[in-house]
Amino acid sequence: MLPQRSRLSVLVFLIPPLALYGIAVLLPIFQSLYLSFFDWDGISPMLFVGIDNYVHMFTGDAVFWIAFRNTLGYVVICLILQLGGALIVASLLTLLRRGREVVKTLYILPAVISTVAIAFLFQRIYSLDPEGLINQVLEFVGLGHLQQAWLSDVSTVLAAVSVPEGWRFTGLYMLIIYAALLAVPTELEEAAKLDGASWWQTFWRIRFPYIRPVWITTTIIATTNALRGFDIPYLLTNGGPGQSSELLTTYMYKTAFTSTNYGYASTISVFVVVECLAAVGLIFLLLRRKADA
Amino acid sequence: MRTNRARLAIAAGVAAVGLLLSGCSAGASGNSDPTNVDPKGEIVPREISWLLSRPADGGVITAMEQIADEYAAKHPGFSLNLITTPDRPSYIQKYETLAAANKLPELFDTDATPFAQKLAKQGKMMDAEALLKDLGVYDDYRPAALNYQRFDDGSLYMVPFEFQLEFFWYNKALFQQAGVEIPKTLDDIPAMCTKLRAAGITPIALDGQDQWPLERYMAYYPFRTAGPDYVEQLKKGDAKFSDPTGEQAVKWLSDLGSAGCFQDGFSSTGYSDAQASFTSGKAAVYNIGTWELNSLATDALDPSVRDDIDYFTLPVAKDSVTAANEYVSPSGIGMAVNTKTYDPLVRDFLSFALKRYPEVYAATGALSPTTTVQTTVPANATPLYQRAVDQANDVGEQTAMPWDTQLDPTSNTRLQQELTLLLQGEVAPDEFITTMDGVIADNGPKAFK
Repeated sequence: MLPQRSRLSVLVFLIPPLALYGIAVLLPIFQSLYLSFFDWDGISPMLFVGIDNYVHMFTGDAVFWIAFRNTLGYVVICLILQLGGALIVASLLTLLRRGREVVKTLYILPAVISTVAIAFLFQRIYSLDPEGLINQVLEFVGLGHLQQAWLSDVSTVLAAVSVPEGWRFTGLYMLIIYAALLAVPTELEEAAKLDGASWWQTFWRIRFPYIRPVWITTTIIATTNALRGFDIPYLLTNGGPGQSSELLTTYMYKTAFTSTNYGYASTISVFVVVECLAAVGLIFLLLRRKADA
Repeated sequence: MRTNRARLAIAAGVAAVGLLLSGCSAGASGNSDPTNVDPKGEIVPREISWLLSRPADGGVITAMEQIADEYAAKHPGFSLNLITTPDRPSYIQKYETLAAANKLPELFDTDATPFAQKLAKQGKMMDAEALLKDLGVYDDYRPAALNYQRFDDGSLYMVPFEFQLEFFWYNKALFQQAGVEIPKTLDDIPAMCTKLRAAGITPIALDGQDQWPLERYMAYYPFRTAGPDYVEQLKKGDAKFSDPTGEQAVKWLSDLGSAGCFQDGFSSTGYSDAQASFTSGKAAVYNIGTWELNSLATDALDPSVRDDIDYFTLPVAKDSVTAANEYVSPSGIGMAVNTKTYDPLVRDFLSFALKRYPEVYAATGALSPTTTVQTTVPANATPLYQRAVDQANDVGEQTAMPWDTQLDPTSNTRLQQELTLLLQGEVAPDEFITTMDGVIADNGPKAFK
């Protein structure tokens, strides 16, 4: 229990960041909520339409649902690459005796490159004409018949725009998980091994429960990051061909800044906020319950 | 966690906060009459800004920089601040956001879009016809150049700075190799593509990434069979894709797709890659305007194809209602004059600049929007350059409007998406028609009411 005066000073120091959070986060959310009940193009008077925007979004807008499905696909691919990839690389890294720092640096490098540069890079990698890296490799190993324009094919484009985002942050999550793995006491693992536990048993019964809190945090960061993924798909394909790589965020952006339909764009943004909160709730529920079990 | 949610919300609320707060500041002081083109008062030199969407090293900017320097020499304290965003979608977002915040500078670029028409209706743009007439330069302009800038009701709020002709550039050697002729009608194009494909040649190089080049093909068939009125009615929901005109056009596009007219993966090919495919002798046809004369009709062109390049204009269709010399001849994005900041200085500068501009601009080798000057053909030009320049004097009255400046933005975005799918064979013509008629019915009438 802090003395009265300290508590006051704690409060005094907490208020500025809280106020900032309120202005930068809560205020825009509530303003979006407010705008979502209007039809507004930015230059004409605002027209109150009640819940019409929500009704349209849920029942009358096919593109919204396509974008929602694509977003889920995008999240799944990003999570597999980021969390799965990070866990594997981090585990391998603990086995490495020399050169850990070099490997770590190399893996984290994509996270510090500008998104625009990454988008250009991948545009070249996926290109068919002129032939990009992937198509050249396919030709080289004798799989020339699999060559295609990865960003133009409706069946490959969603994966193609998800991979750069996944690849980009694998190193970052690897670093977090690696730090967590280092904290697992070696005595425990050694004891388990002496008792005849297999590699999988050691991992699943000892290592993983130990890093679970970090795992939950990482999952939440990665999921919310993926849910608000925007830049790479926007730069690579702008949602196309058709709506095959349209995400909720790119759709919201186009609705606001191309269609100048700020009211409806706010409705979509409210949905994105709710969706993020729901995702976080779900992750807590699933991973916490497992921890209690 | 919090920051993630925060960023999401910020992304979402960018429009909200800024615009909501600044939306209230409308009705600030200054000029308020769009027809008051000759305001009384003293000319007080200051910095004026032009928000524009043109290439940074292009003819318009180079010419205007020179003219602004000349004006500043006589009017110390004057300067012209050119703020360019050549990427059109980014530019439109910037300009529309500034318009919503009522923060547009003295001069700004816009096409004759529904959004611009709303600004004009609200009196936020000076009446360009009145202005040009008052400055005594109105009759200098090519009628086609002015018509391109007009709204549907014939009113003029934008000043053109360019004049372009859009051609089908083609490679004679590749045509000969595949045994194909210049298509006489639009319906010959699918057959031309099939033959070129069979000879292992990419028929048409297309920049699919930027969407507008493909959308041109949407405009061609209806322009020939029904004239410029079709899109004017279509965008308001008064005509439909399911009408015979629309149906024929969609069928033609679908034929282009099944004949493999465009290179594989065209939807992710960018501007320079498409052009390179043509200039390297890989693709046989490339549909682009005279703004590329410097790359297509000078010795900048690869020597191996230089003598093989020629052009033809938009083929007619059976029972064409528009003539062969009528096609896409845009005068580029236009410049609007902000009513709020219009004063004797802006008028005086525009008077000086618009009179001086044609001469300076034509000297760069470009086609002036006026008929008062001769274009200087550069020394390194091929004979094609002069021919293209002369062609400008032979352009008919009606011009095929690019649809991206016509439709409301929501329908336009959807049309661009569906066109790619139609050409890739992902959606059938019927499906395309149903979808697009539905989208336009939802958005068109609202935007043009």
